[in-house]
Amino acid sequence: MMQEISAKRRKCLPLVLGLGFAMATHCLSFASEAAVEPDSAESEGLFAEEAWPLLQAKCMECHSTDEPESSFDMSSLESLMNGGELSSKAAIQTLVPGDPESSMLYQVVLRTSEPEMPPAKRNALSDEQVEVIRKWIETGAAWPETLPDVAAADALPLDKFAVTVSQGPDGPRWNLTEDDTWALRPPKRYAVPSEGIDQDSVKTAIDAFLFTELNKKDLAAAPAAKRLALIRRATYDLTGLPPTPEEVEAFVDDTLGEDEAFDALLERLLASQRYGERWGRHWLDVARYADTDGYANDSERPNAWRYRDYVIRSFNDDKSYDDFIVEQVAGDELAPNDPEMKVAAGFLRMGPWELTGMSVESVVRQLWLDDVTHNTGVSFLALSLRCARCHDHKFDPLPTKDYYRFQANFTTTRFVTPEAKYLPDENVSHIPELLAYIEKKIAYNKKSFDARYEAFRQGRTKYNKSQDPFVEAKDGEEEKIVFIDEENTDIAPDAELKAYAKRRKILLAELPGYEPLAYSVTSAPLEDDDVAPAETFILAGGSLDAKGERVYPGVLSMVHGSDDSEAPSAWNTISPDARGRRLALANWLASPSNPLTARVMVNRIWQWHFGMGIVKTSNNFGKMGSRPTHPELLDWMAQYFVEHRWSVKEIHRLIMRSAAYRRSSSAADVAAVELQDPNNELLSYFPPRRLMSEELRDSALSIAGVLNLEMGGLPTFPDLNEDVAHQPRKIMGQLASAYRPSPEREQRRRRTVYTHYQRNMAHPIQEVFDGAPMDIACEARRESIVTPQVFNLFNGQFSYDMALEMAANLEAQFPKRKGQIERAFRLTFGRPPSPSEMKTCLAHVQKMSKHHNTVTPEPPKTRERLRRSFIHEFGGKTLVNEDWDWEGFEFNLHPSEVEAHTRGLAELCLVLINSNEFIYIY
Amino acid sequence: MPNCDQIQNAGLMNRRNFIYQVASGAGSLALTSMLQPQSALAGTLSAKLPHHAPKAKSCIFLFMEGGPSHIDTFDPKPKLEDFHLKEFFREGDEFSSLESGRRYYIQSPFKFRRVGKSGVQMCEHFRHLADCADDICFYRGAYGESVNHPTANFHVSTGNKFGGDPALGAWVSYGLGTKNENLPAFVVLPDLAIPQGGPGNWGNGFMPPIYQGTTFRATGAPILDLNPPQGVTLEIQRSNLNLLAELNRQHQVYHPEHEALEARIESYELAFRMQAEIPGVVDLDNESQATRDMYGIGEPDTDNFGRRCLLARRLVERGVRFVQLYSSGWDSHDYIESAHSKRMRAVDKPIAALLKDLKRTGLLDETLVIWTGEFGRTPDNGIREFGKAYGRDHNSGAMPMWFAGPGVRKGEVIGATDEMGGKAVEAAHPIKDIHTTILHLMGLKDADLTYFNEGRFKQISQTGDAKLIREILT
Repeated sequence: MMQEISAKRRKCLPLVLGLGFAMATHCLSFASEAAVEPDSAESEGLFAEEAWPLLQAKCMECHSTDEPESSFDMSSLESLMNGGELSSKAAIQTLVPGDPESSMLYQVVLRTSEPEMPPAKRNALSDEQVEVIRKWIETGAAWPETLPDVAAADALPLDKFAVTVSQGPDGPRWNLTEDDTWALRPPKRYAVPSEGIDQDSVKTAIDAFLFTELNKKDLAAAPAAKRLALIRRATYDLTGLPPTPEEVEAFVDDTLGEDEAFDALLERLLASQRYGERWGRHWLDVARYADTDGYANDSERPNAWRYRDYVIRSFNDDKSYDDFIVEQVAGDELAPNDPEMKVAAGFLRMGPWELTGMSVESVVRQLWLDDVTHNTGVSFLALSLRCARCHDHKFDPLPTKDYYRFQANFTTTRFVTPEAKYLPDENVSHIPELLAYIEKKIAYNKKSFDARYEAFRQGRTKYNKSQDPFVEAKDGEEEKIVFIDEENTDIAPDAELKAYAKRRKILLAELPGYEPLAYSVTSAPLEDDDVAPAETFILAGGSLDAKGERVYPGVLSMVHGSDDSEAPSAWNTISPDARGRRLALANWLASPSNPLTARVMVNRIWQWHFGMGIVKTSNNFGKMGSRPTHPELLDWMAQYFVEHRWSVKEIHRLIMRSAAYRRSSSAADVAAVELQDPNNELLSYFPPRRLMSEELRDSALSIAGVLNLEMGGLPTFPDLNEDVAHQPRKIMGQLASAYRPSPEREQRRRRTVYTHYQRNMAHPIQEVFDGAPMDIACEARRESIVTPQVFNLFNGQFSYDMALEMAANLEAQFPKRKGQIERAFRLTFGRPPSPSEMKTCLAHVQKMSKHHNTVTPEPPKTRERLRRSFIHEFGGKTLVNEDWDWEGFEFNLHPSEVEAHTRGLAELCLVLINSNEFIYIY
Repeated sequence: MPNCDQIQNAGLMNRRNFIYQVASGAGSLALTSMLQPQSALAGTLSAKLPHHAPKAKSCIFLFMEGGPSHIDTFDPKPKLEDFHLKEFFREGDEFSSLESGRRYYIQSPFKFRRVGKSGVQMCEHFRHLADCADDICFYRGAYGESVNHPTANFHVSTGNKFGGDPALGAWVSYGLGTKNENLPAFVVLPDLAIPQGGPGNWGNGFMPPIYQGTTFRATGAPILDLNPPQGVTLEIQRSNLNLLAELNRQHQVYHPEHEALEARIESYELAFRMQAEIPGVVDLDNESQATRDMYGIGEPDTDNFGRRCLLARRLVERGVRFVQLYSSGWDSHDYIESAHSKRMRAVDKPIAALLKDLKRTGLLDETLVIWTGEFGRTPDNGIREFGKAYGRDHNSGAMPMWFAGPGVRKGEVIGATDEMGGKAVEAAHPIKDIHTTILHLMGLKDADLTYFNEGRFKQISQTGDAKLIREILT
């Protein structure tokens, strides 16, 4: 019995088994499978691709009819494991997931002992096929709820189901089922179901679709959540911040009916500027936003923040999603003179990118083309295009030719940094002080360089390039002495001078970040050069050295209605003119005729509300992606989206007003759910979730009472563990500048979305609490549980700082301990403490205060100029790098500045910040 | 509001929590695997069975960052003496600006000597390593693809030039789990500065973060925030932890089916134990003075790297699977004589000590040691300063590499580069073959060590067509 249950519950079993250095888990209901359970995903892949067709072909003729042989039925995992008559006859079980050796199924196909199956020798499985069975069992014998229809496809004539693309009769073909290509075909128009559904329990159409499936499994929905849970859930969901105690109280005590009160709450939250900060961040996950380039130098990316703020503004303004697409893919072509459109097109350059003297320019260019091709597919269509770079796509009907035709839309695009006036809404208030700081650094660098130069040249002869027989002098360079000129630093025969010169170069490259410029692209021809459109070729194996057939811009012919060779239309055809390719592409993407676009976005919105999409693989709607759990609902919502002017906020209303969204997070019948819907795909209860890394930091700032809600502008630099901040990081010929927290305390306490996102140095809280990967489009944030999270949140300076601020604020507002503790609970959990909790916490604070009475914290150390050493490649010398000083730095509240009773209360605050009730939302 | 007074650990009584209790107890792995299909173990560091009998249980990867010159370390090219400072012409047109301009052949500034019974050739600056020559398999056939530091670093560390993939150590952790649940399976010991490309060189890529390499710093708390801020005593922490546990238990009663709650409670206890134990692991004062001297600890040239070599041994001894140890500064474009000789001196004594120490303790029978960089260097270079300031450029066509430990040949030179040292020509293998061979020695098969991501099964070889370097295997 145990065996059977554990197999069925496989997907919801805790992953915390070994309790190793690090533990991972995912809870009953959320996190995408692919992200959390690798072997399960592998097993499912094996099952769908190989094991299931094999079982069908070799076993099920006899073992799946109404009267199966030996009453052993293999058509479901349950009956397969049950074993029928075999269960009493055989020495071993029919199937033990994870253990092929103990599984009869494996033993019989191995044919090393009796019985041998299939009975006839000529039907025996090949070695490869036996291995498939072994591997499938070993990886956990996954058995998806929806069985792949492979056998049906194989049984039918090839062309019945085969999907042929635009390559003509001799072109590549894919033997795919309708199911494999579901997303490439237009959504169907479904009526909202009504049969057998209790209309009173339906709040929005979503409920009708969900109840249809719940009823099939006879699963009861959980009752409505309590108002406290609901306001916490909705507030975090739409703003990424906890509700204030006053907001909670107002909502809980609201005398309006449930629906009216909740509607009013929703409208308040949707109108809040915090909304765009939260939902903009979701999109930035997809767009791979960062403030640096990655790779060797991980250089600053001046003005990237303007794209971040554009995204936040777009969500706050409820910009139509179709416009949002067009602006990001072709804003510069749509409105060449509109500064905001130039900023929006920065989307195309959001990935990691770098060109240095060590890279071949044409190769780097091709890297970007491949990057933008793939990521345009992933972001808007949930289609992984990269595989088709080298060969026709293995799974989806995407020929390499289509990949390069799609890429041709970008081959006339160049990187530019045009002027783009600041918008009235953009926050440029901190530019002067940041500019002054960088100028100070430049001056300091020059001083250091000059001093070193003077010392160095003592007793040395001048090196004159023109007299060096080994060096090819460039025109006009003969008499130039190159020490100070940053253009020619490579001659300085001294590691220190070289390092200073390199630093100068880095600093100068950051200056454009303080000017009204856009990190953007253009497809306008070069001014002095009326160049022909860049040509695009199929590259064999993706290699620039193997140019094949020339191709012209186009869309993906596998998408319904998009084959311009068969039925060309204005929508699916892209002119080969140099300009306007991307605009045409954007219009193809952002169209109701595109079967993927609206589905992909409503699925993302759904996932960001419920933790799991209707299609779990929100970046992959192809054959290897998951199938929708509620295909009719997905199609219905996609149409609703388009019909409501692609309004994201309308989808929020549709989802959040539903009964499903407002259900309790405790299942009505836990046992039934475990059996029928262990992943909570049917949403019979609301899936709890952990705070995202950004939410966690923002919430700690918020309950401590120090969150600065200033919006937008240049990235800010919050406090950072000094070991990380000062860790020397090697770049070409230098160290990367040390991380310098913003000197103004208020600026260190901005929302996390406005902080500096650095590819090669994620903030520890982002790193351990599953922040966005930045280099690849984030499909879904993980919710891992690992011990470094404990070190971060329980030992880290940030938590101590917040706890101390919180305690000081509580004491300032409430004279009595009880009042302070009650407020602390309301801030952290939205509720007052129970009498026993109050008692325990009072005692704890008292005990801690007593302890703190006996110690005197040392005052903060005086800070010195930061010095870090590294080995320079030039001569292998160890150099000391002076980075920055603490001048004007506003330090945080320090324990030595407060009384023992405040420090005592801070211990409680630290515990609250670490508590499960704070970090989980129900 | 919930009445918390009624709580009596009720949440612990249901079956789900029973499984937790069983599974989280020490020594419960056997029982765990009986209860769970193997798939449930993915995402944990529980020890897992290898694909075949392993030769090595652990691996120490000595990464000479910057690109050590094969020509000046283990692969002498006397022919270069005939061509010294003669101009060299390149063919083809797709070069980086680094490779353009006038170029000249450069001889090695170093002498080579034959060492060990086997008489293999080593640069004169490897004085101590010479003692270990008969335990080492020198491999001259390795080649990479990229001449750019970060991409070459990513390639050697992760198998993917462009980064974003799990590091070799992460694949090994994923495949084998850990032998010591109180330590990370994959530890990184960086040099003063972390290499170009940053933590992506030991990242978990598309896998869960438990497979990520954990950096141990040489000084202070080895793991980030392992200790609370100064002045916070263990006693106070324990007291806070107790309150936290109590609040968490009370909360759990209202969400008994929410499994993450229990895991999070456990993680705090585990972290607290690690906080107490790890400092002892990294404390080199626990080693004898003779051992510390052997590693060159206390000597200015070798102290830094010696400490990390000794720490590597202590970690491997305690069950860490994969230690990635960096020495930086090998990027000698100029003044290669002083630059490379300093680097060789800095690593020579510590590495020799590491090999001897592993051998002495028997650990060399189960620990694979690899020495290499992200690429080798060119036989030619641009020259400045009237021919004095010469060095070598990046070369992905050949790279120095050696192996020591179980399953590899000893005291032999395998493979060869061409006459000038421009590229590997004999027993030549790309990076993916090196990864596959390391996995093989650790009992893992590239073809079976896959992870489903972005719609396909990914593996470190990327393409699944990697070959074993049979030439170096016993």
